[in-house]
Amino acid sequence: MPIPMWRRWFGSKPSAPTLHKNRAAIRVGIPKVLNIWSTHQFWLGFLTALGIRPSNIVFSSDTSEEQYREFGKGWGTVDCCYPVKSISGHYGELLFGQKVKIDLLLSPMIYSLPSFLQGHVIDTLSCPRVMAAPENIKSGFLKERDTFAATGVHYVSPLVSLGEPQLVPGQLYKALRDVLGLDKQETARAVAQGYASLEAFNRKMRAHAREILTWCAREQHPCLLMLGRPYHMDPGIGHEIDVDLQAHGYPVLWIQYFPCDADVLEWLFGAELRAGQIRSPFDISDVWSSSYSSNTNEILWGAKVATRCPWITCVVHLSSYECGMDQPTYTPVQKIVEASGTLYFKFGDLDATKPAGGVKIRVQTIVHYLRKYSQTLIARKLAWLPGPCPLLTASEDSSPQRVEADSGIPARTAVAG
Amino acid sequence: MDCGLDVGSTTCKYVLCSDTGEMIAQRYERHGSKQAEKVLEFLVELEERYTFTPQRDRVFLTGSGAGVIAPLIGGKVIQEVVAVAAAVERLHPSVRFVSEIGGEDMKTIFFKEHAGSKNKQVFMQSACSGGTGTFIEKTARKLGVADQLPRMRYAGYTLHKISSKCGIFAEADANTLVKAGVSIEEIIASLFEAVVYQNLATLTKGNTPLPEVLLLGGPNLFFAGLQEAWRVHLRRLWQERQVSLPAGRDAESLVLVPDNALYYAALGCVTLGRSEPPQVGLYQGYGKLRWWIDEGQHEQKKREGSTGLWTTAEELEQFKRHYQSPQRPSHARSTPSRALSACVIGCDFGSTTAKAVCLSPEKEVLLTCYALSKGNPIEDAKSLFAQIQAAGVRQPLGVGITGYGAELLKNIIGADAPVVETVAHAAAALHFFPDADCICDVGGVDVKILILKNGTVSDFRLNSQCSSGNGAFLQGVAERFDIPLEEMAQRAFAARAVPTLTMGCGVFLQSDIVNQQRKGWQADEILAGLCRILPLNVWVYAGGLNNLAAVGKKFVLQGGTHKNLAVVKAQVDFIRSKIPDAEIVVHPYSGEAGAIGAALCALERWESGEPTRFRGFAVIAGLTYRTTTAPATVCTWCPVHCQRTFIDVEIPGGKGRAWSKVPLPEGWERVIANNSCPKGLVEDVNELRAVKAELERIQHAYPNVAEMVRKQAFRPYAP
Repeated sequence: MPIPMWRRWFGSKPSAPTLHKNRAAIRVGIPKVLNIWSTHQFWLGFLTALGIRPSNIVFSSDTSEEQYREFGKGWGTVDCCYPVKSISGHYGELLFGQKVKIDLLLSPMIYSLPSFLQGHVIDTLSCPRVMAAPENIKSGFLKERDTFAATGVHYVSPLVSLGEPQLVPGQLYKALRDVLGLDKQETARAVAQGYASLEAFNRKMRAHAREILTWCAREQHPCLLMLGRPYHMDPGIGHEIDVDLQAHGYPVLWIQYFPCDADVLEWLFGAELRAGQIRSPFDISDVWSSSYSSNTNEILWGAKVATRCPWITCVVHLSSYECGMDQPTYTPVQKIVEASGTLYFKFGDLDATKPAGGVKIRVQTIVHYLRKYSQTLIARKLAWLPGPCPLLTASEDSSPQRVEADSGIPARTAVAG
Repeated sequence: MDCGLDVGSTTCKYVLCSDTGEMIAQRYERHGSKQAEKVLEFLVELEERYTFTPQRDRVFLTGSGAGVIAPLIGGKVIQEVVAVAAAVERLHPSVRFVSEIGGEDMKTIFFKEHAGSKNKQVFMQSACSGGTGTFIEKTARKLGVADQLPRMRYAGYTLHKISSKCGIFAEADANTLVKAGVSIEEIIASLFEAVVYQNLATLTKGNTPLPEVLLLGGPNLFFAGLQEAWRVHLRRLWQERQVSLPAGRDAESLVLVPDNALYYAALGCVTLGRSEPPQVGLYQGYGKLRWWIDEGQHEQKKREGSTGLWTTAEELEQFKRHYQSPQRPSHARSTPSRALSACVIGCDFGSTTAKAVCLSPEKEVLLTCYALSKGNPIEDAKSLFAQIQAAGVRQPLGVGITGYGAELLKNIIGADAPVVETVAHAAAALHFFPDADCICDVGGVDVKILILKNGTVSDFRLNSQCSSGNGAFLQGVAERFDIPLEEMAQRAFAARAVPTLTMGCGVFLQSDIVNQQRKGWQADEILAGLCRILPLNVWVYAGGLNNLAAVGKKFVLQGGTHKNLAVVKAQVDFIRSKIPDAEIVVHPYSGEAGAIGAALCALERWESGEPTRFRGFAVIAGLTYRTTTAPATVCTWCPVHCQRTFIDVEIPGGKGRAWSKVPLPEGWERVIANNSCPKGLVEDVNELRAVKAELERIQHAYPNVAEMVRKQAFRPYAP
């Protein structure tokens, strides 16, 4: 039997007819799932640069059981990955749950991802199951009849290598040229705008995180680091475990947006860098040799950061049900984090059912130990690090990125811990 | 004469009919797992009192135990549902729907007339306890009202949501309701509701039960409340589906419960047997059955089972010497009253018992006491604190509290250290065994596995949804065998051979036990088998830990179930089979570990110089409270509509709730129970505003990067 070729799986599809509308009026729906959670601004920047009105770009709502029940039932397909399975609800919501109908359902198959670890790791690929998810979900909507055609919605699912920007214009041009009437040049410009938007947003989030960390340093206040895949920020996938912990008075950082400023990284990794133990502050080859998966790499790097950073006294590791990508990270991440005594807690096998009692008891358990050990941990980890902390010494002006006034942190809060 | 024998999972029944088909005698008895023995007893009686004669009279058997016994006495086996249907067709030609509920199974039969011929559709399930007699009895036993069940009613009571799918969940639900102060009567009515619901939900498969309806089987006959529930549901169903009732008949009278509802399967056996050729089912006497009871079954068992819980008497002795009485650290008990003048109190309000300990500042256990949970945490607290006061404590240095009731009681008794159970157990274990890697706590209704690292609980597994590994299940089986709790270990050790039970769901395990009984395994042996399977259920099934070696080397066993030495033996053997050099200890205060941990946490607080908030013994003794479970207490935050309970306690300085739908005057505090999510702890919109404002204040003070992503990432970026 001939092996189906890459091209045959993901190659060009019969081209969709052009939308006979001016672009400004075209309404695009994007399912807010999987790696859209880390590439959101790329798509917004890209589409608006093509002349699509921002108000016409619709993301589906957060994943929820209600969403699945109302819009996903009957279209479901088999997949053991819960974040993938739940996409049926997002598709359904975009097709049937909009006040103003969408014209185009854009559900990219993201093959590789932009990552701050790029250049320091072997590759930044998506999980293959996650990448191919749109193909799986789509089939549920074609099972009995072509639901997209029946609802008058163009379905476009381009394979994009967002980790290799030079390939992206071609990939998106091919997928969207007919339906949007694109030319090559404007596509390239729009792609560049997409990357710029994403970069700007990421910068802003990192600056926000730096402010949080600076506040912690000033107040000697512990904070939490969440290690997970970007879509664990989706309340329906990560079950807002971060919010439950935050409610006990702990700021929460996510590894996707850890401040990557040179001064902070030098403070945390400088000694090892000069000792030749690592090649760069972003090097994870000392703990993870097969660094192909983008999100996995970031989780491993997060473990290294957490074990060093004094105010991160606790790591919360999120993982969805039977995640094959996460499975091999459990032990290394735990061992790295705990090497400095930093608290490590894992919420594994998350799926549709919020483990209500379980989460509550776990959160209470975590908070108890955070209260008990944080100050000792901060002092111990500070003693290991060199000299003054750059977060406190960086003057206001030279601070790498000053953040807008609305970042949410009052200069000093009078809240009891 | 023809005899119909129904050998069921919990009871045996017989009917004896004359050659003309009239019933001469009948009997119904529980067999206490000795099916063969009970049948033998019946046969002896039949021969002696009714001249039932071998080689002349015939016997037909049905039920779960029929297969083994029939060949021994020459009888013929008839399938249960076929038998019931035959009896119904003969006795009640106008019946169109039958529900037969047994101890561990349930069946429905739909009779349909189609073009002059009658056909029947049969549905049966025996894999799950939901909807069966056990479902009701299990919970009723737990609530201590098993013998009042027949008199308990359904109509007129407020119904509460009880999981109808599984007896184990139902028991847990009932437990929560009890804790919230819901009356036993309402809980039992809700159980009847759940059984009828489950039968209709799973065993109708799109068919509508039409009149007339016949209710059969023990539970349907004995429990008046269950009959009421059927009548209410069927009347509603008939109204909804516009079923026209026969003229002049009301819905009530169309639901029949015959006096001999227990004997339909046995009667059906005779009915069908009579149409068989005369030599079929010819009774051969009970000689072979007696031989099988005395000898035969043991031979068969030996082929199938494994050896007992121990191999040599010496090994057992050695084990007992080591584990019999866990050495409790000796401490100054001579002058307790003086020592008690300065101590901390730790309380653990668990599902079945409330326990308290007093610790000296040197962390010695000075006093332990407990109260069997009466289902109301406030009553339990009163009882505990009265005991502590009576022992001579005047003013404690601090009070720690943990367990299910902790949330409810912390403000009411003025606890200094409300701690979550995981933390309490870890603190207690680490106090006695600083190098412990793992705590395995097997309690009454739950299993806790705590993995310790760096002095914290790094991971844990809680399982309160699956009964297979827990003590209540073991206890439930022992009770069914009439074996007192304190004799369980001794009886299990007495077994020389042990049946191989299957790991997993408690309900399946239950049917497995029935299976083993059928093969002739005795109570002692089954108990030993349960002890042997328990570690597998605890670690692998409930705990999900396949790689025990990754957990560590030092294991602390605690919780009430580990007071049973046979369980400890099985645990030790199991753990050592995975980790040969594992060290396994039984917590010296196996049942009080939670309370000790809570006390240790209170002590920590006292050591840091914080004064106690304890309200005092007098205040607790004088607590008055009232509970409300009514439509006004239903939670409306989401479509689930949990039936909450408000427990209002009179307490000095209570703020009251004048704005509430269930208003509360000043001097009272409200505790909300039976909510299934934190939202439900908020009474209504007014309270929500305050809670939301507080949450937003915290979120503003302690930001979360993801919050910002969720808010900003999916909007066009505005630098």
